[in-house]
Amino acid sequence: MSGQVRNDARSGGALLRIENGNFAYKSGPQILKDINIEVGPGEILAVLGPNGAGKTTLLRCMMDMLHWQSGRSLLDGEDIRSIPASKLWRRMAYVPQARSAAVSYTAFQTVLLGRSSRIGAFSAPSAEDMKIAESVMERLGISHLADKACYAISGGELQMVLIARAMAAEPEILVLDEPESNLDFKNQLIVLDAMTALAAEGVACIFNTHYPAHALQRAGKALMLSKDGRSIFGDTTSVVTEENIRHAFGVDALIGEVETPHNIMKNVVAVGISEDGAPEAADGAAGAAASEKAGHKEEAILASITVIMRSNERAALINSAFRDYNHLLIGRMGLPHRRSEKYIISVMLEGPAAEIDALSHRLSLIPDISVKTTYE
Amino acid sequence: MSLRRDGRLGAAWIAILIVLPFIAAVIALGIGRMSIAPGEVFDVLRAALSGKHAESALIEKTVMQLRLPRIILAMLVGAGLSVSGCAFQSLFANPLATPDTLGVASGAAFGAALGILLGFDLIGIQLLGLFMGGAAVALTWLAGSGRDRGGLSYIVLSGIMIGSLFSALISFIKFAADAESQLPAITYWLMGGLDKANYRTLALGAPVIIAGLILFMLIRWRMNLLPLSDDEAKASGVNIRLLRGITVVAATAITASCVSMCGQVGWVGLLIPHMCRMLFGNNHLSIVPASVSFGAVFMIIVDTLARSISAAEIPVSILTAMIGAPFFIVLMRRSGGWRI
Repeated sequence: MSGQVRNDARSGGALLRIENGNFAYKSGPQILKDINIEVGPGEILAVLGPNGAGKTTLLRCMMDMLHWQSGRSLLDGEDIRSIPASKLWRRMAYVPQARSAAVSYTAFQTVLLGRSSRIGAFSAPSAEDMKIAESVMERLGISHLADKACYAISGGELQMVLIARAMAAEPEILVLDEPESNLDFKNQLIVLDAMTALAAEGVACIFNTHYPAHALQRAGKALMLSKDGRSIFGDTTSVVTEENIRHAFGVDALIGEVETPHNIMKNVVAVGISEDGAPEAADGAAGAAASEKAGHKEEAILASITVIMRSNERAALINSAFRDYNHLLIGRMGLPHRRSEKYIISVMLEGPAAEIDALSHRLSLIPDISVKTTYE
Repeated sequence: MSLRRDGRLGAAWIAILIVLPFIAAVIALGIGRMSIAPGEVFDVLRAALSGKHAESALIEKTVMQLRLPRIILAMLVGAGLSVSGCAFQSLFANPLATPDTLGVASGAAFGAALGILLGFDLIGIQLLGLFMGGAAVALTWLAGSGRDRGGLSYIVLSGIMIGSLFSALISFIKFAADAESQLPAITYWLMGGLDKANYRTLALGAPVIIAGLILFMLIRWRMNLLPLSDDEAKASGVNIRLLRGITVVAATAITASCVSMCGQVGWVGLLIPHMCRMLFGNNHLSIVPASVSFGAVFMIIVDTLARSISAAEIPVSILTAMIGAPFFIVLMRRSGGWRI
């Protein structure tokens, strides 16, 4: 039901929270009912839902561009409405859909606009502002676009420029409105990888998406909205399920896994439009596997997870994930491979399949590493 | 001679933009029915600055009393209309916006026409023009705002309505005016001309224009936020409503002052900002100062032509359109169009 919050063992506390958010447009139906979410530093939250379910409305309410009818958004426990705009927008940044963005400036000048909240009304960007803009563009790999006009670059490039503009504010929270829509395969990956990398550096990311698979592959948390105003929030693996997709989207979907040499990635395939009120039994191998796993969620099973790190960069993220699930660990082995400067970590676990799934999923969201889980 | 990466002008451009209007002014001071060499113009100016009299009283009177106030007015009107055109284009993210978008020029012109009809003197006409220009914008604002949604597009639409309302009122005044004396005066005034320039009218209109120009120069980097969509603008952390409000008030005050001093001068507010945008891109760090400078130069040139190519004065609006339209088309075709 609405507002179902699953608190997991993760540390850190909420950076951004929505408490009992309700919203309806004038003389329209209630679009958002009793929304409760929380996002911590370095977490990614995916907001899913069919067209018209209120995804963009939710983001706008959350950022106080629209006002909640009741309920509130809290940044570090403080009501967002009581934070002065210039302070709020140093901590939070917004990436609009590329098609609704202004495109009159060069990419570099656009990125510089992200510094606005830190530049006085009568001043122009300082040398430091320019340095920050340059380094953000370099970090996102778009330095070569700097002097091109924004109307002369591709949609994917523009989306990256808009992300760079948001990052130039040095925010703790990044809010992205359908960052990967209207982009081709490669550009979708570029944009999602950029978001994943920023989250790995500690930025909380909240993004709207039409793709449940992107939520599963990128986000630790998910909020699923349906047209009747109901919403489900929690760990992505518990929110993006075949049953919830059927309910929210009216689509029969199969959630399966695709194995690569490095990872096991979850994927969602829409198989048909579901008939109202008649939940169909999931069919096919992947569906069978998923429901079989679901059947055993409560009893303790054994599992092992193997991680290969290509550099030491992500060690902190991996360690904090293991720390949060410490109660499952029954054995752990870390092996630095000195010659190649790579690291292999292997852990043995015992616990409910659901929890092992959650840990495994959390590890799979960390960029630049290989992770696989073997169940008993 | 190029732009810096952040859109700031390079030193060479800054020098050109500062020097160009003064060169144009000195040359224009020498042109007219009585031709004066630039050297003599300098002598007169130097003498005037040090409080002495020049050798020839006739030359001094021509330069200081007839031509100088007119050239100062041309510079102010050119710079003012260009910058307010530039500001309105960015504010409404619409390349066709002009200083008259909110109906201010029609309002001011109506005020002036009414002043002529009522037999006011120049200062009275100017004051009534200013007042009516402000009233037109206030009406536009009242008609277009209030409801939160829609925002700027409502205001543009109501600006068009108020503008045509005041145009109709002008027609009514023309209809009511005495066909022998007042009607030609009103018609001539509406076509725009800088021949009414003297230090008294300047003292009334110039401070408003200068203050507006200084304000726009100061906030010119922040003006880059104007064309952004609502959500983007809000997310910049800047008080965007205040910025828009200041922009409207300043651009309106400048335009009303210009119209009240010299009638409706078309084209400058469209032509010059676009010329600058084509040269420098859309960054206000460069296009605001460039609009000030090029606007002043353009208006000096046009007004000098207006008073010297024939025995009778030609209304400047005719010349701005005749020079502006073809020039604009060439520029547009060369640069491949415009964008805001």
